[in-house]
Amino acid sequence: MPNPDAYIALISSLPGSERLFVAKQPPLSRLRLDRRLTALTPEDARVLKVLEHALNWGDYDIGVTDAQAIGRCNEALHDISQPTLRKMLIERMDLRTVVAALRLRKRGVSPPAGSFGMGRWARHIPANWNDPSFRLEGPMPWIKEAQQLLDAADPLGLERLLLSVSHKQLKRHAARHYFDFEAVVIYVLIWNIFDRWAQSNAQEAAKRFEHLAQQAMANVADIDFDGANA
Amino acid sequence: MNELVLTLGWLGIYAPMALGAAASAIGCSIAGMASIGAMTETEGGYGRFVGVSAFPSTMVIYGIVIMFTLNREVTPENAGGLFGIGILSGIALMYCGIWQGRACAAAINATKEKPEIFGLSLAPAAIIEGFGVFAFVFALVISAGIS
Repeated sequence: MPNPDAYIALISSLPGSERLFVAKQPPLSRLRLDRRLTALTPEDARVLKVLEHALNWGDYDIGVTDAQAIGRCNEALHDISQPTLRKMLIERMDLRTVVAALRLRKRGVSPPAGSFGMGRWARHIPANWNDPSFRLEGPMPWIKEAQQLLDAADPLGLERLLLSVSHKQLKRHAARHYFDFEAVVIYVLIWNIFDRWAQSNAQEAAKRFEHLAQQAMANVADIDFDGANA
Repeated sequence: MNELVLTLGWLGIYAPMALGAAASAIGCSIAGMASIGAMTETEGGYGRFVGVSAFPSTMVIYGIVIMFTLNREVTPENAGGLFGIGILSGIALMYCGIWQGRACAAAINATKEKPEIFGLSLAPAAIIEGFGVFAFVFALVISAGIS
């Protein structure tokens, strides 16, 4: 039976997930997060690793095939017993399936035969290939905006929209989990979204790089490379 | 048969104390774990966290008072009453203590982010305390009718 109070100290030792998105500096580095996550039991740590491995794009080779990606997710579903975590993984796969279908259709690819991707809409999407939103406006109201961003060739905007949708999905699940293992997993997945969000902020990154470069070069002018100060 | 009835009577006398102690232990440990976690993340206000995590300790005090109120010579006539009041007030105190601990843990977790909501965040724990007081007071009132 799951213990609703299993990770009270761990959850309380993490900065609030809302603070991740408003802070100028990340309140928690991955190194510190990993150090805190050592409080997980070996079994829970393994489940978290499996889930992150299935969701993180960084863990996929650039040439990964659909079958390999689906196989990895199915393996993850086999290893994960918590209903909430399974639901979260399936929801994320639904989202990725829909976005992949939107991209394929934009390229002019004809509807795939049978099923496409994985999740609840694998058969529904090919059957409604010619509908602008695959007749999924109800369960996925963001699909119209995603289509518009794709048409406008705005990958950064699309990335942010998808991160925001994923974040909302996780927050919905977080409302039912406070101090249990699911709450820890939700926190880590939100941290991953924050990390990707921060990486996608090119302007801020450029400013920060310039600032760091200026800081690093501040004393360089005073150095005489022959060994004497200017 | 009489022995069983007398045993239930004694069980009823000690139950509020035992269940109240269990409630306080579980509640304080839940809230205490939250306060320890919060201490690693914040720079100050540790005393407040520890103070809040001691909130559920009141349940054992209520249990002790009920136990002393019920404590009397157990007879076949009064054993049923002692059992009913003791067990049910003990169960009520136990639930109050455990859930108050969870409410305190949530308050500590929220307060570490927003210290300004410290007072308000304790409202759910205070309301649960009120329910514990109901169980306590009415156990005393009803026990007056047992011979």
